[in-house]
Amino acid sequence: MNPLARLLAKRLATSLIVLIGVSMLIFAIARIIPGDPARIALGPNATQEQIANLRADLHLDDNIAVQYGYFIADVARGDLGISLYTNRPVTADIALYLPATLELVLVAGILMVGIGLPLGIWSARWRGRAADNVIRLISLLGVSAPSFVWAVILMLLFAFYLPLFPIAGRISDSYAIAPVTGFLLVDTLIHGDVRAFGNAAWHIILPAFALSLSGIGQAARLTRANMVETYDKPYIEMAQSYGFSARRIANRYAFRPSLIPSLTIIGLDFAAMLGNAFLVEAIFAWPGLSRYGVAVILRKDLNAIVGTVLIISATFLLVNIIVDLLIALLNPRIRYSQRPA
Amino acid sequence: MSIPTLDIQDLKLGFKGYTGYAEVLHGISLSVAPGERVALVGESGSGKSVTARIVLGLLQELRTARISGSVRFEGKELDRLTKRERHALRGRAMSMIFQDPTSSLNPVFRIGEQFHDVLRRADAKITREAALERAASILAEVSVRDADRVLNAFPFQLSGGLNQRVMIAMALANEPALLIADEPGTALDVTVQAQTLQLMRKLVEEHHTAVLFISHNLGVVREFADRVYVIYKGRIVEQGPTRAVFEGPRHPYTRALMAAVPRLTGGGIPDIEENSPDFGAPIEIHPDEVQT
Repeated sequence: MNPLARLLAKRLATSLIVLIGVSMLIFAIARIIPGDPARIALGPNATQEQIANLRADLHLDDNIAVQYGYFIADVARGDLGISLYTNRPVTADIALYLPATLELVLVAGILMVGIGLPLGIWSARWRGRAADNVIRLISLLGVSAPSFVWAVILMLLFAFYLPLFPIAGRISDSYAIAPVTGFLLVDTLIHGDVRAFGNAAWHIILPAFALSLSGIGQAARLTRANMVETYDKPYIEMAQSYGFSARRIANRYAFRPSLIPSLTIIGLDFAAMLGNAFLVEAIFAWPGLSRYGVAVILRKDLNAIVGTVLIISATFLLVNIIVDLLIALLNPRIRYSQRPA
Repeated sequence: MSIPTLDIQDLKLGFKGYTGYAEVLHGISLSVAPGERVALVGESGSGKSVTARIVLGLLQELRTARISGSVRFEGKELDRLTKRERHALRGRAMSMIFQDPTSSLNPVFRIGEQFHDVLRRADAKITREAALERAASILAEVSVRDADRVLNAFPFQLSGGLNQRVMIAMALANEPALLIADEPGTALDVTVQAQTLQLMRKLVEEHHTAVLFISHNLGVVREFADRVYVIYKGRIVEQGPTRAVFEGPRHPYTRALMAAVPRLTGGGIPDIEENSPDFGAPIEIHPDEVQT
């Protein structure tokens, strides 16, 4: 079997086990939190009978293992249940809110890789020089404050004192874009509305940048550290002795081997942005999964809580699988290894 | 007499560190004629490798290094060349072979790609196909029969001996005037080292390449070199034709070095002083053998 296919199959299998574990955990935790979901959903004027009926509908009076059995049977049909908060299927809610969050995280991830890696490369190439020190200072700043702090600072600086960017939202109200994929940056282009695209991009810059700053710092620091180590390897000296240009040595001979150890951490950082996005979304009034997630937790909307957590875990796992495959692609030792990776 | 390929006069090197200045080379002179094979022999830390790196211009980029003296390559004073001109020599007019072939090749690129980069130093526009073809023909010269497999492989997929042949082929691919071999194959086992050195010798003879051969292995030096310089603590202590130096070592350090060669007949490790005032004795120069 192709080593890559084998790796993929193995990672998918382990991810499924992790997902089942996560679902059990969150299923149990959601039910342990005090408060009766039926009573919360029906409000203070509900009768005992109504509450009892709803509890029966939700199987809340059954043993927790039996409840989990019902849940798994539903999930197998692609049904995460009805949200008591929105009265719609949880899957529909997630389909509505997830794209906004994913869009934000993806743009932040692109910024992280697109800015963090080049900064790390320059820093390593000019190690010990002024440029290196400046980049290291910036990276340290980036990693030393959480993204919601950056969100507030950036918002104050660039949306309030210096109103270069919009203060909140995904797109100005004057644009009505019919959702196709749910990703505004994609949908606007599908509709051929370049101005709407520009407007959406203008809205996403600040939140995405705030979200990615610590990732940029982390990516730059890791890349620099790994590359500085690589620069001491004999194959770099050999490349220098052959007169390859310093730029080529940095971007190719030193960067490629150094990228492999950095990539695992970058992948984890990327996945962690899914969690951090909740706070950044709250600050920038970004209509993503965070508002929904917070609202359903406060209302003890069991199905929606479990659904939201599961979808985020699944995205997290998916990102990790992609990173593992990328590493295997970059590292011939794994790609050609006959041993299981 | 023709212009020497490499001519070093009174080369001094020191490093400026936090605690002060440490001089590593105290004014060494050596020369390599076109097509000549010259060995620089000495123990670890004697200054062999830094000499090689100065010739290549790698140490000059270190901000802590202080270098004085003259290094002439084909009559051109390296110090007077612009950075660009000096850079242009590397990989084209001079190239280098390193100690450990497997760790000197980049682990994440195929041999063929690395060969392509090397050949591009001489011909910037060479296509991938042309480069691979040329690489295969040079590999054939170092007795690599299945060149396609080798070029398509990553260094970790090849044996140390095969990687060493690849290194030799790469080093000679652009027909350099000077090849610097820094303890080539020390990381390999003795039989493979001997085989690859023989191939290297054959190749440099055919291509008429001058070689500066850096080694602590006297047996190998005796086989390989025309002339020998013995270096000790940053000074040349003895120089001359290989035969003369080996048959009649004059300097106390050279004698100690030769006594230190392990012998098949046993006798254990010879008892040699680590340091001796005698080792500081002035340089011994053997006259060049009269060509007959």
